[in-house]
Amino acid sequence: MRLLLIEDDPTLGEGLRDFLRTDGHRVDWCASLADTDALRGEPYDAWLVDWQLPDGSGLDWLATRRARGDRTPALVLTARDRLADRVHGLDAGADDYLVKPFAPEELAARLRAVSRRLGAGAAQSRAAFGPVAVDLTARAAYFEGARVDLTAREWAVLEALVLRAGRIVPKPDLEKIVLGFESELSSNALEVHVSSLRRKLGRELIETVRGMGYRVGDAS
Amino acid sequence: MLWVVAWGLGVALAVGLAAQHEVDELLDESLYATAMVLAHAIDRVDLESIDDKPLPASEDGEFAWQLVNGGDRMLARSSNAPQLAWHKVHTPGFSDVSAWRVFGVATGREGRLLYVAHTAQERREARGEVIQSAVLAALSIGLIGQAWLRLRVRRELEVLDVLSNRLAGHDPLAGHALGTADRAELAPVHRAIDDLGQRLARRVAHERAFASHAAHALRTPLAGMDAQLAVALRESPAELQPRLQRVRDASGRLQRVVRSLLDLFRVGAEVHRAPVELKALIAHLPVEGLEVTVEGPAHLDVDADLVAAALANLLDNALRYGARQVRASVPAPGVVRLDDDGRGCTPERRRDLRAALAAQHYDGGTGLGLMLADLVARAHGGSVSLPDVDSGFSVALALGDGAAPGP
Repeated sequence: MRLLLIEDDPTLGEGLRDFLRTDGHRVDWCASLADTDALRGEPYDAWLVDWQLPDGSGLDWLATRRARGDRTPALVLTARDRLADRVHGLDAGADDYLVKPFAPEELAARLRAVSRRLGAGAAQSRAAFGPVAVDLTARAAYFEGARVDLTAREWAVLEALVLRAGRIVPKPDLEKIVLGFESELSSNALEVHVSSLRRKLGRELIETVRGMGYRVGDAS
Repeated sequence: MLWVVAWGLGVALAVGLAAQHEVDELLDESLYATAMVLAHAIDRVDLESIDDKPLPASEDGEFAWQLVNGGDRMLARSSNAPQLAWHKVHTPGFSDVSAWRVFGVATGREGRLLYVAHTAQERREARGEVIQSAVLAALSIGLIGQAWLRLRVRRELEVLDVLSNRLAGHDPLAGHALGTADRAELAPVHRAIDDLGQRLARRVAHERAFASHAAHALRTPLAGMDAQLAVALRESPAELQPRLQRVRDASGRLQRVVRSLLDLFRVGAEVHRAPVELKALIAHLPVEGLEVTVEGPAHLDVDADLVAAALANLLDNALRYGARQVRASVPAPGVVRLDDDGRGCTPERRRDLRAALAAQHYDGGTGLGLMLADLVARAHGGSVSLPDVDSGFSVALALGDGAAPGP
């Protein structure tokens, strides 16, 4: 998944970024709300937002984006643990609420749950598309029941499309989700990954919608 | 009301006794005065012309008189006086003879004595009338006085009543002052209460600010440490892993302690009761290494955050005292009990712990877990008890009477 992490504490921010990266996610880490301005409009699978930031409230930031109609799944990370705080956080548009200190493993699990619930078509952690089965929790793909080894990038492409199953994902968005800021360096990198996925999982899995993007699963 | 009646009767009795004495004196004086006038007048009357017949008495018969000579020889008498002399020998002055009150006085002529008398009946009636009116007057004045006194006292106490009502609705933590006193005498009380309220509000604001600051200052670095350790565990060579894992475990214990300490600050705040299942409450607690079984459906009406914090600490205690299994139950409405299979403690130690909990002497080694549990229970209006068990350790939290009834 491509994630935006907004956390001002350097130890926690760096730790979470690196942990989530070793989990195979692409993580952009901002230490303040001002830093997120440069990333406006970037497609993310989820936002991880600290409540109290040096230049404002993460909840206000989230509420502003929700008011604009942006439904990107959001987890609020905070040191505030009172019931009223949690209610306030969820009311502001957070999909989940994690009280510090938390184990990064728990954050990763909540992230998967939130993306499954809200991100796209795949309501279960396992989804099947013809002969192909995808297990988002185990990060594994199966073709006719046999596990298929995928590179990290191939998995990123597959996961992004499965999380948005039934919807057309524009190529520039998919590039950003999968490659982050490296997307501008190699213009044909995405096609390389898509074609190797088709080789491993069959040609029918990923449909190219001409001039628009890619899609996994039937149109929703 | 009983007191009012008793008080009124007491006053009436005192007035009655005083009136009786005064009336007797007055009647005696009138007897004396009449005797003097009559004695003076009778000397001028030619007694032979009276012809030994009784003289007519006064119409109302209040007075009777006898004029005697040489002891008891009757010279003349009023028609309502007895035929025999009241005394066989001359008896001047006041005396009581059967039904008469008699006053004897010598007249100017030798050997003559005039007796003037009231009937005792007459005197009783007069006395009765006076006492009756005096008592009635005293009773009415007493009752009116009593009512007036009550009114005055009530008016005086009304100010205190107003103050007590204001105190009942007074919340110094909301920043409200009690305001000016209705009476000058109460101004020092108002000042003292306002002063106390302000000091309390400052103290609470200070503690809240500290708790909030401490929460942020402690929670974020702890989360950062854990995240860094989790990454290090993944990236480090195998020989370093056990060491890093031990550090991460220690960091986890530190997190629990910090959480408990922060929860302690919150115990003083309000308790928000809501219905919750004990099973759901325990399901959210970190109990690695412990097998917790929850007996039956157990409904509670408690502050879930606070009780969860207390239970998490008690379960952590159980783990540290070697427990592997914990049984959680609700033996009575609003009571949560934990029984573990750990090392437990000696009866002496349990006695010391009970005494420390009862006196709230938490510095005497109750440990953070029991202290937090006790504070949480007390915040709910209950307390913590340590039931006697043969093995392991048992602790029961009474969480007040907000227990929800079972289905």
